[in-house]
Amino acid sequence: MDLPPPPMFADVQSLLATSQPRARLPWMTYALVAIAVSVLATTLFGGRTAGQQQAAEAASTFVMVLVLGSVFLANSMQARALRTEHARLEAAEELVQLRRWPQAAMLLQSILSRPARSPQARLQALVCFASVLSRFHRFDDVSTITEHLLETTPLESAGVHALRLARATALLRQDRLFDADRAISELRRMPDAAESGGLALLELYRDVKTGHAAEGLEIFAAKKELIRRQFGHRIADAYLLAASAYDRLQNTQAASDAYRTATLLAPAVELHRRYPETAGLAGKYAAEPAPAEVIG
Amino acid sequence: MISAQATISRFRRDLTIGAVVRGLLFLAVLGSLTLGPVLGPEFNGALVLVAIGLLWMVLGYRSLKGSRLAADSPVLIASGRFDEAETRIHAALRSFSVFKAGKLLSLHQLAVLRHAQRRWQESALLSRALLGQRLGALRGLSKPSMLLLADDLLHMGDLAGAHESISRLYQHRLSLAEALALQELQLEYLARIGAWDQMLGQTKSRVQLAELMPPTHAARTQALLALAARKTGRENLAQWLARRANLVGDARAIVAERPFLAELWPELKLGSI
Repeated sequence: MDLPPPPMFADVQSLLATSQPRARLPWMTYALVAIAVSVLATTLFGGRTAGQQQAAEAASTFVMVLVLGSVFLANSMQARALRTEHARLEAAEELVQLRRWPQAAMLLQSILSRPARSPQARLQALVCFASVLSRFHRFDDVSTITEHLLETTPLESAGVHALRLARATALLRQDRLFDADRAISELRRMPDAAESGGLALLELYRDVKTGHAAEGLEIFAAKKELIRRQFGHRIADAYLLAASAYDRLQNTQAASDAYRTATLLAPAVELHRRYPETAGLAGKYAAEPAPAEVIG
Repeated sequence: MISAQATISRFRRDLTIGAVVRGLLFLAVLGSLTLGPVLGPEFNGALVLVAIGLLWMVLGYRSLKGSRLAADSPVLIASGRFDEAETRIHAALRSFSVFKAGKLLSLHQLAVLRHAQRRWQESALLSRALLGQRLGALRGLSKPSMLLLADDLLHMGDLAGAHESISRLYQHRLSLAEALALQELQLEYLARIGAWDQMLGQTKSRVQLAELMPPTHAARTQALLALAARKTGRENLAQWLARRANLVGDARAIVAERPFLAELWPELKLGSI
């Protein structure tokens, strides 16, 4: 499964700037002021001749209908724009899930190249874009986005955890081991860190990458079930990293078994693309063959 | 615990009241614009319009406040806090709303709650009541409701009803999440009627879609495909799928949920599940 050629990426800093939501005009305040003025005008002209009073009433009714109609129209247009933005974001998320990376990249860049309708929509688009960038190994950009969001966006604990996880993974992939280790320590201090399958997988990766095979296998044994429950098919990643750790410890039988299990769940090419350090396993151990019905 | 039938009656009554209130306000607006010449200079149409506007804002605010009561219920249901979700949905359904959408959403959330509580019959009743309404701007709600109804009917053993719901879903454009849910329902339905060959049509894309599902659903879907492969004599494929299902999920849990899948893992004794 070769990765398609990367699309042209826009500068991430520019996208961060262009996607900032624009302040909306306070239509409701304008409407209320206009209504108050028209009521005041009717009252002021109320004491004069009957003709003046009728004219004032007609004018104020006209103003009110106009104002209420404009508010209704503005709200409808805003709701339609929100629905369109939501649909585009949903489409982008689906493209990411379906691993159609170039299409997802193009759509997300188009979404981020104009002001978002809400901070939530911008956050959603940026998180999605970070995962696309990660697929194209643009880890500097991933770090830029996650750091920007962590610094500027108020998030719940789960959101902070997910962003820190993405940032630490990017640092590890960039071989910035000291920074990655510090980022992992921050993650470990967060509430519910012990229940995070993502953190367990990241720590396993760090140990494999830094040659601490025995420690990695301890994490694998302790957290395998947690990773399976939270990530489903991505448990293949944990088996692949465990195979690498066993291989380092020269336990070839266990390495072979773990490698076969990993490749039972995901194609070897895809796994080695995610973890380039494990590419050497492909030549040493046999991958689990997939049945003909699911290959062609 | 709110009875489904009582909830549906109340829901219909509230929709009628809401529609009457909206109609009266609309007539009042028309009256304030047209009755000026008839009622003479004492009648101040502008003031009446302001009063209607204020009343609409108050009613709208109360309605929004009511529908927000149940806004957290999906999270509560997902985290298993059913009692809390029940209280909030109950409060939302009892509150007055001038908008239909808030009531429809609360009814859907109650159907989801009953489904999570495995009260299939009540969930099906609520979903049917919802689907019987004109959903207007909330027409997107019809697809999750149909998926819920199909699942309820499968659990109740109403295969004809489930088939009807599944067929109706094919007339809609589905999101990826809905397409995944539909695939699982369809496979389960086909397994119940023993249409093993049909289950294995487009095996590759079915397996790819299963990989996108949450773990328990991915495991169950692959177990269903494995059973179909075994029934049609494709033992290699059956073993491959069953092993994957057991790695992604847990064979014991899968068999406990769907005992007919036990033949995939004969080493598991049903008594021990």
